[in-house]
Amino acid sequence: MTSYKKPRPRIGPDNEPFWQGCRAHRLMLPTCRACGKPHLPPGPVCPFCFSDELVWQAASGRGRISTWTIVHKAWFPAFKDETPYNVVQVELDEGPRLTSHIVGAGDRKIQIGQRVEVVFADIDEELTLHGFHIVAP
Amino acid sequence: MNIDAAIVGIGCSTFGRGLADSQLRLAATAFKNALADAGLQRSDVDGLSIHLGWPLGPDYDRIAEGFGLEIRYVNQSWLHGRFVTNALQHAALAVSAGLADVIACVTAVSFTRERGFLGGPSDIEGNREEGGTHGEAPPYGLTAPAGGAAIAMQRYMHLYGATSSQLAAVPIAMRNHALRNPRAIMREPLTLAAHQSARMVVDPLRLFDCCLISDGAAVVLIARSDRARDLRQKPVRIIGMQGTRSGRDEFIFAPRSLGINQQSARRSAARPFDLEVFAQAGVARENVQGFYTYDAFSPLVMFALERFGYCGAGEAAAWIQGGRIELGGALPVNTSGGLLSEAHVAGWNSICEMVRQLRGTAGASQIANAAVLQWGTAWGDSVILTA
Repeated sequence: MTSYKKPRPRIGPDNEPFWQGCRAHRLMLPTCRACGKPHLPPGPVCPFCFSDELVWQAASGRGRISTWTIVHKAWFPAFKDETPYNVVQVELDEGPRLTSHIVGAGDRKIQIGQRVEVVFADIDEELTLHGFHIVAP
Repeated sequence: MNIDAAIVGIGCSTFGRGLADSQLRLAATAFKNALADAGLQRSDVDGLSIHLGWPLGPDYDRIAEGFGLEIRYVNQSWLHGRFVTNALQHAALAVSAGLADVIACVTAVSFTRERGFLGGPSDIEGNREEGGTHGEAPPYGLTAPAGGAAIAMQRYMHLYGATSSQLAAVPIAMRNHALRNPRAIMREPLTLAAHQSARMVVDPLRLFDCCLISDGAAVVLIARSDRARDLRQKPVRIIGMQGTRSGRDEFIFAPRSLGINQQSARRSAARPFDLEVFAQAGVARENVQGFYTYDAFSPLVMFALERFGYCGAGEAAAWIQGGRIELGGALPVNTSGGLLSEAHVAGWNSICEMVRQLRGTAGASQIANAAVLQWGTAWGDSVILTA
């Protein structure tokens, strides 16, 4: 643990493999053996066919921005120095959507439909956060 | 079981910001006012149906103990717009089933004192595992309910070409209604220019797209018709209800299937599933004279109108223009000013307004010959009231 002041993900049995995957710089999705569909957020069963047979599979890490916002208000003191900052939803090529952020966008305008690719930021010895780079308009 | 329930009394406290009174004190004031309005005694109330309670207010037992009530039926959820109709519906079901004779729906908020709770570090709900119900993602700084409404509206704007200037019709309508309402907190006119130049909070929501953070209480008393007809006021009957819609294609702050969180992105017009309340009430949508909704953020009004088929998918931004949702327009919405301009009393300020309208006592805000009004939310629950 470090002096990292932002909220950490609340990790429990259902989502632990997801965050362990981030530690290893891999975006992992719970995927149903019965119907083949991946889902997010991680749940105990397949939400499509209710099967218990979930396996964790690495996603491509690619997708596109399905929506975004820029947060201007510092609800959390730990985010104050970064406001305004972006939050995006990425629709992964595998289908599920993931809330994350764009890193290194600079002055580039974030837009729905932009192609993105996952990047990982090691925060401390226990936490790695996913983020995305814009790779194509 | 048929619904046999009417609103027989309403009472409010003062609405304001930074009120010194405790939540329980505000509730007591509203409770006394509701009893006086109905012509009932405290001892007549034998049920509580509330969406107050921990972590944002006193639980039912503190209310019963503090007010010296003897209660034989309780329903409690938590302080959320999602549970306004839930509390009202449970009260209606419980009196219909004889579980209680007079149920008090009690709401009291001290948001100005508790504002650190609203999206900040002490927001227990928003910081739970996988975030809260508004699409919160705390590690990424999406920590407040406004964030969910913003990301939904951003996608809506992309899909349908809607603009912030169009969205402004919602808070401007609410403000115009508040100008007629002496109880309302916001009494200065709001122009499009002022809306557009106000600070951005969470893109595309500007300051006036976000509801007030305010204090106040409202109490609504529910009884069966046999009881209601002997009381002081003209009963306002609950003639139709439908419950909250939930599932993988729902996100409370977006129309179904807009493509937020894990919703599919196949939009559809309102389906029979969305419109059960009209059939149950025996009322055609065209006969609804006023629409009331949980306007915590401007887009929610548009999403609710689409949900109940007042306009088609993606049409609300254009549909709400030209005063259509204002008093004198085709479908006035939240005629006392709503959460955006009257006060954020968790929607019960609007329920009280519906009752005044149907009694014909809404003063400068009165809808002529108001007989059928609908409460409906973006997440699909609804009640239809008539006098």
